[in-house]
Amino acid sequence: MDPSEVEFLAEKEMVTIISNFSLDKMYLIGGDLGPFNPGLPVNVPLWLALNLKQRQKCRIVPPEWMDVEKLEEIREQERKEETFTPIPNPHYMELTKLLLNHASDNIPKADEIRTLVKDIWDTRVAKLRLSADSFISQLEAHAKLDNLTLMEINTTRTFLLDSLNSMYKLRASLQPQPAAKGHHY
Amino acid sequence: MFLTDIRKEFYDVVVNQRVALFVSSDVDALCACKILQALFHCDHVQYTLVPVTGWQDLGTAFLEHKEQIKLLIKQDDDLGIPAYDDIFRDEEEDAEDSGNESDSNSEPSGKRTRFDEGAVERRIERQRAKREWEARRREILFDYEQYEYHGTSSAMVIFELSWVMTKDTKDMLWWAIIGLADQWVHDKITHMKYVTDIATLQRHVSRHSHHNEDEENSLSIDCMRICFEYDLRLSLYQHWSLYESICNSCYTTSSFKLWSMHGQKKLQEFLADMGLPLKQVRQKFNSMDISIKENLRDVIEESSNKYGMKDIRIQTFSVHFGFKNKFLAGDVVHAAAALLENVEKEENPSDNFIRALDSLSRYAKLSLSTAPERYTPAGVPDLSTLHRSKLDQLHCGIELAKKKLIAIQQTVASCICTNLILSQGPFLYCCLMEGTPDVKLFSKTLALTLLCKYLLKSFVRSTRNKRCKLLPLIMTAPMDVEKGTVIVLGIPPESETSDKKNFFGRAFEKAAESTGSRTLHDNFDTFVIELKTEDRSKFLDALITLLS
Repeated sequence: MDPSEVEFLAEKEMVTIISNFSLDKMYLIGGDLGPFNPGLPVNVPLWLALNLKQRQKCRIVPPEWMDVEKLEEIREQERKEETFTPIPNPHYMELTKLLLNHASDNIPKADEIRTLVKDIWDTRVAKLRLSADSFISQLEAHAKLDNLTLMEINTTRTFLLDSLNSMYKLRASLQPQPAAKGHHY
Repeated sequence: MFLTDIRKEFYDVVVNQRVALFVSSDVDALCACKILQALFHCDHVQYTLVPVTGWQDLGTAFLEHKEQIKLLIKQDDDLGIPAYDDIFRDEEEDAEDSGNESDSNSEPSGKRTRFDEGAVERRIERQRAKREWEARRREILFDYEQYEYHGTSSAMVIFELSWVMTKDTKDMLWWAIIGLADQWVHDKITHMKYVTDIATLQRHVSRHSHHNEDEENSLSIDCMRICFEYDLRLSLYQHWSLYESICNSCYTTSSFKLWSMHGQKKLQEFLADMGLPLKQVRQKFNSMDISIKENLRDVIEESSNKYGMKDIRIQTFSVHFGFKNKFLAGDVVHAAAALLENVEKEENPSDNFIRALDSLSRYAKLSLSTAPERYTPAGVPDLSTLHRSKLDQLHCGIELAKKKLIAIQQTVASCICTNLILSQGPFLYCCLMEGTPDVKLFSKTLALTLLCKYLLKSFVRSTRNKRCKLLPLIMTAPMDVEKGTVIVLGIPPESETSDKKNFFGRAFEKAAESTGSRTLHDNFDTFVIELKTEDRSKFLDALITLLS
């Protein structure tokens, strides 16, 4: 999977916006989009929020977890634990990137949030690498990882699978050929 | 087209159609164009952008697009407009007649049909009234076209439109500021008007920037911040060294008379008076000592008062985004103008236009984004998505502007020292010969206008002849060597209370007619024309007789 595909999937997440125009309820295939009234908050998918923001038709309200103290707590917890901690949103990385690129004027302390999210990401990806490394070197048969997000899985997917395939091929060529049945010497 | 309500009569009409946008080659028009482009992007209006350099260009482009499009918008600098009712009859105008509608900022098209109705007596009565009216109209139009001057910046007008529709953003505000600064840099409006317009813009700036100061919710450093500055009148000083800037800004060179040895000495005294060591002052501004930079403006103001420069500071705005990008409005104007009239490489005008347009936008997306676009197998993010081309254009423009300013100052110095400016009676005349260094730069309108204004200001300071100080200046410079033409430009006399009205347009036309000189009055600014070199002397003689 391409990272841009993952980002595309992330755009289905709902965010709150405050529009400055009015429109009746829209009925789309994916679901209904509530009536828009100027000055009132409404929940919409991220792709629509970004489009409206670029056309200057709304103001985006940052999600609750996108807050300096909360993110600092999460980062501390992540650094302490060996395993992956649960994170507030399965697409935290994509959301951060999209919102901070397009709507940074609606998000207070945007620079600090960017740094904090990057720290959390770095810690998690490092853990993932460690665990993949030990998985391969100890020739484990199965592993279980909780609380991983799609984007993180996507970073190791190709590498992990390819390397496991290569290891399997190498191991298979070391095995002695089994005697063919039905041949008597 | 005269408009009273720009939103209903202009934007709402335009927003549902395909639009052709003809933009003339000056910085104010560029800014208005950017604001309109941003508005069109918001509302998904399809448009075609066509840069034009003069009336002929406009005509050809209009004919090319005539088949497809019904409504045209042309942007230009504002020319003074007399009252609506004095020129046109309200009723029965043929809308189809003038397919070429310009926005409220340009001259009347003058093509209106009027229907006469009624019985014979009434007809005679009407005819008499019509003749009177025609006579009055001719008089008014003559008055109108006699003097050319500039009204409100078109960028500001379009910004007001966007504000009325509450679609204004900081970017648009910044472009409106640049449009106004362009009018001031090229000396198109009076000081009073400039200060009034600055006050208007200041209201918008404070409206947009009330978020910045909040400790709790400080904005990202990448967001654009616009601030009001009461800054020095030294061109490009923050991107140059202070010394160079002082030597190449019109105000300081004319006050100190830096073309003479005496002037150079005075400059050294001035610097010593402020306590600025020469080594510091010659360094790039950003590398100067912090302790010097802190109070620089006040220190300079104090000292310049002693040396007779009372207005060394001027009200303006600056923009601030990212960690190292700080630009004053005047800097951007110089950069964009230099890019528009770039003669260094053999590029065609539309490339220069696009480059100048690009230099006005600021998006250089530094991808410090935490979700990298590409992954190498080791999972290390790939930061090669750094994309800086538009800011680079601005820096390139600043470098070109520096060269242009240096060339202007050197030309001014040589003209004054070699007494190239001659009084012809009713006006001063200066002619740039073929072999003068950087003369290619001055074949373009904006550069030549700047040169003219600086030259006149400096000349007024340097001459003792009281009469000469009140004369206007006409300048000629070679325009196109192959075609054998020169560019002729006239500016009004230099005075404190000048209302910046320029009467040379009409004067040039009349002189050309009377002598049969081959001229081209193609420029949107009527005080600039192209003339065949051979006809130069008889043209000037005609002008002398005309104006005395």
